[in-house]
Amino acid sequence: MQPELAVGLPAAGSVCAAVLRTRPRAALLAAAGLGLLGLVAVVLSQPGRTSDQLGISLSLSPESRAMLIAAGGALALTVVLAPLAVERAILLTWGLAGFAGMAAIAAAGSLEVLILVVLVLSVLQAAASGDRSFVARVRGPVLAVVLLTLAAMFARVEGPQFLPRLAAVGLIAGLSAAVGTLPYMHQFDPQERTATSPIPWIAFIGPVLALAVLARARELIPSEGGVIGAMMIGLGLLNVVWGSLASWRTENGAAAWHYSFIADWGLVLSGLGLAIADGQRAAILLLYGIVLSRLPLYLWSRQSLREKRPNDRPINLLAAAMLAGAAPFAGFAARLLLLRGATQLYWPLALAIGLGLLLWLPPSLRLGRSLGLPRGRQAWGVGIALAINVVIGLYPQPFLALAGL
Amino acid sequence: MSAAAAFAAWLGASLIVLSEGRRGLAAGLALVTAGFAVITLVGGGVEAAAALVAGGSVAVVQRLRTGPDEWGVMPPGSTARLVLAAAVGLMALWISTSVMTGPGAPLRFAAMSVLGLTVARVLTPSEPPAVLTALGALALSVAAAAGAAGTSPGPALYVSAALVAAGVSWIRVGEVDAA
Repeated sequence: MQPELAVGLPAAGSVCAAVLRTRPRAALLAAAGLGLLGLVAVVLSQPGRTSDQLGISLSLSPESRAMLIAAGGALALTVVLAPLAVERAILLTWGLAGFAGMAAIAAAGSLEVLILVVLVLSVLQAAASGDRSFVARVRGPVLAVVLLTLAAMFARVEGPQFLPRLAAVGLIAGLSAAVGTLPYMHQFDPQERTATSPIPWIAFIGPVLALAVLARARELIPSEGGVIGAMMIGLGLLNVVWGSLASWRTENGAAAWHYSFIADWGLVLSGLGLAIADGQRAAILLLYGIVLSRLPLYLWSRQSLREKRPNDRPINLLAAAMLAGAAPFAGFAARLLLLRGATQLYWPLALAIGLGLLLWLPPSLRLGRSLGLPRGRQAWGVGIALAINVVIGLYPQPFLALAGL
Repeated sequence: MSAAAAFAAWLGASLIVLSEGRRGLAAGLALVTAGFAVITLVGGGVEAAAALVAGGSVAVVQRLRTGPDEWGVMPPGSTARLVLAAAVGLMALWISTSVMTGPGAPLRFAAMSVLGLTVARVLTPSEPPAVLTALGALALSVAAAAGAAGTSPGPALYVSAALVAAGVSWIRVGEVDAA
């Protein structure tokens, strides 16, 4: 029953918060209570155990469960320490809607259920009032829905030997379109509010979505593992180079953050594509970093970005070090594992990834400065995000064990 | 029967691509729903077909209540869309009958043509009513495509797709507050 509760309770919390929006305190209390219960359901769920209470098989994998717990933690952190300009009840409404969707994606027993959840999430997000048009916001995820559906169909029907290979292309292209990495980068408006921007796809929903799609891909086309891996490594390197260079060179600070997520996803894709233990571990650590540290830091940088108040205090340099993947942060352990995995597989690949890693420093310094001078709740938030990242970097094993690695 | 239903689904999706008014869009969605329901009745059972009919019907009725009050089929400048509808149909026909083998060609043709045409509607400049109609048809085609392997995925998936198709039709763009 836990997977159903993991989906249902946050969804109920989001609906409660939306219905009670004229009474923000009541909305916050109701939504927070239901959201916490949903998170408890995720924590108490047994990975791999199937539940079939609603006629649809639901089961959480260890990796997806770990990412859901991380996302729940990130949501709690950003709501409790939300910037003053952001209304917590609205943040929680959208956060819980996303969390419920993520739980449904993680628990979905079939690719089609996962696809329908992505469709629902994309329509809900696009329907919200925002600067970009409805059509512009829904394009990327809908393209993903179509590509994934076609891929599932190609994987299942009878036909020539190249059909499973086309299915593999469709799955990876669909995943890329849903998350918003190259070559299907979502249109980004720096002035847009975070909830309606592409950031939730790349930094909140994306990690669980990627793990779920790849798990389904392994079941659908087990013979095409090599093709999937090669495509992911290629896309990963492309995203590393493009994301880090663009994050460095772009004029707009918010756009630089968006590109930095893309660069991080490049490493994640490379790690997942390696298909050996070290690569998987590196990818999971990087995903923890995206959800628990990079996303909260982005949210707390928004006000400073609007006011154009960059700063060079030690806290900014620490944030820059974290974003660059320096020791002792989680990114360092992840990069070591990634390089080790790449060396095991094909050493020139490690060289290419290593050269790509050098591109991280200039944009990270810039992003660290963009945090401005954190004060009050923001300072606490930045401190906690950095501390979590250090803990993951120094003691990665419990976090990897949570993900079954 | 299945071949006629598949043709109806393609025709419906083409209408969604070619229409701007609420009546044209609703007629397109109704054809897509009917096409998939008939095909699913053969492979997925009565419950699955009934779910698609229910979800599609709600979406059609909702579409008839909102959007420009006209048929709006093939307004000036629709030549490219007409060519697209024909091209997607031919491509889907070729892949479903010649590249793919085994039984279920009508379902494969219907699913691929609706998927291709709905994504074309979303990726080209369109108004929200047209896009929401396309998304309703897309939800139905996701469930229908799951039966392409010849084994039914069970009624729960069709019910879910029907709920999504109906739910999408109730969405009012731009009325929700965001953080």
